Amino acid sequence: MDLKELILTATIPQLGRGLKNKIFSSVELTSAYLERAKILNEQTNAFITIDEEYALKSAEKADELIKNGKAKPLTGIPLSVKDNICTKDIKTTCASKMLEDFTPFYDATAVSRLKKQGAVIIGKTNMDEFAMGGSSGTSCFGAVKNPYDLTRVPGGSSGGSATSVSASMCTASLGSDTGGSVRQPASFCGITGLKPTYGAVSRYGLIAFASSFDQIGTIGKTAEDCGILLNAIAGKDDLDSTCSTLPFKNCLKEINKGVKGLKVALPKEFFGDNISGGVKSALFKATETFKNMGAEILEVSLPELKYAVAAYYLISSAEAASNLSRYDGIKYGHRSEKGKTYEEIIKNSRREGFGNEVKRRIMLGNYALSSGYYEAYYNKAVKIRKKLKAQLDEIFKTCDLILTPTAPTTAYKIGSMEKNPAHMYLADICTVLANIAGLPAISTPCGYDKKGLPIGMSLMGKAFSEATLIRAATAFEIQFERREAAL
Amino acid sequence: MFDIKLATHLAELSKIEFTENELKKITAEMDEIITLMDTVSDFEDTEISTANNAVGLDKIREDLKKPSSPRKDILQNASEKDKKAFSVPKVV
Repeated sequence: MDLKELILTATIPQLGRGLKNKIFSSVELTSAYLERAKILNEQTNAFITIDEEYALKSAEKADELIKNGKAKPLTGIPLSVKDNICTKDIKTTCASKMLEDFTPFYDATAVSRLKKQGAVIIGKTNMDEFAMGGSSGTSCFGAVKNPYDLTRVPGGSSGGSATSVSASMCTASLGSDTGGSVRQPASFCGITGLKPTYGAVSRYGLIAFASSFDQIGTIGKTAEDCGILLNAIAGKDDLDSTCSTLPFKNCLKEINKGVKGLKVALPKEFFGDNISGGVKSALFKATETFKNMGAEILEVSLPELKYAVAAYYLISSAEAASNLSRYDGIKYGHRSEKGKTYEEIIKNSRREGFGNEVKRRIMLGNYALSSGYYEAYYNKAVKIRKKLKAQLDEIFKTCDLILTPTAPTTAYKIGSMEKNPAHMYLADICTVLANIAGLPAISTPCGYDKKGLPIGMSLMGKAFSEATLIRAATAFEIQFERREAAL
Repeated sequence: MFDIKLATHLAELSKIEFTENELKKITAEMDEIITLMDTVSDFEDTEISTANNAVGLDKIREDLKKPSSPRKDILQNASEKDKKAFSVPKVV
């Protein structure tokens, strides 16, 4: 079997069968991915670290497990992990000069659960610095490039993870989603991205950005692949006090049920002038597909959506200002050689270690929290958050899913948005709602624009309804003809 | 209006050093960002609602007492240290 050919379209179950039936070994599979990843990384910059030695050792161990009949769904499967998720003895940089040389002495819970299954982590993926951005262009290691067009962004902040899957440099990936950072890059890169319910996956070892929004999410070529990863990493964890204590139910259990009888809501506010014509028409086509498959489509309204972006940025930046105050250059991270006093060292370390977008978010967060502004900004934003959550709860009393675009446009040119940060923030309008309300959402491809760039649609569900999301996304994926990136 | 004085104050709160030019640049950027954030002022809170968390964080479990990580591991990423502690300039 030509593995080089196979990995271009392979999904986790296909590879799992090949490994189980001894058609190829994990070492052979991992080597094929590594060879491709090393070549394509030159073009895409998807990885910050490719750890070939570690990957091949993990593959050898996986082959032993398979030989002994102890294979699990991810045993021997080559994956990538976003570089803000701690990996023991492998650098975890957050794409920041601040953590350029940071090597964790522990694994994030999600990583240790992947390892427990015998998954093979081939490397750590590039991203927006500290996960703050939607282009993967704020990385101190340089911008990531979109596999469908190398002059365009892959989205962000998990742009390296999305690119690594889209360009078949690995089978699937872990990302993180604070305001859309798994779903939007999945949309731009023509693959599937799942943000689980807040609390479904432990955040232990995920380097904190905005703790009440952050969730580790999964990226794959299909909703099923995303679900296989989620089943492996989800569930109670004593190391994260915000992680749900309820047992996580198998999210693949309804995968073949189709969408007949499901009620799908379309909030009219997601189809305004800020959404490009190409995206809108792909979404309307997708709506027709759902209708033809037996789903019931209902138009609903979310009048407070207009406040969502500002509320999200105020709260998430306030949390970021607090979380990032730990970077003082003393305990870990970049330490400036400038400054004689303790205070000067801290200020200079943060000046040299953080990039511009991170500095802006810290400043915004401290603004929203500071005396005289707290009531008008932070407190107001928290009230908006509650109101939006209540409106969503109301919709979910009569509907199973909410269907929206994942992003207002397709992937844009690298460097074209960075000059106007406020404009870039507005592009998060389609994704922030799921984080604001702590709800699960999945993005899957639903079309291509005139330039051949992928368009993604999002399905959002009730808390812990990941099985319904995967069921609906899978039904759609079966109907939809996905095009691989031509790299 | 987001001005240099406010930016200087926030830079101090944020513990970030800026040069004069950097401060001018970030002041202009922040002015645009705050204009976007000002949209929240139009929100009318018609119900009496407290500003607690929307995602159920008020239900978190009790803290657990467990052994700490080894000192060697905690010190491994510090750029200046001795065998037992992080090194900092004299404070007092």
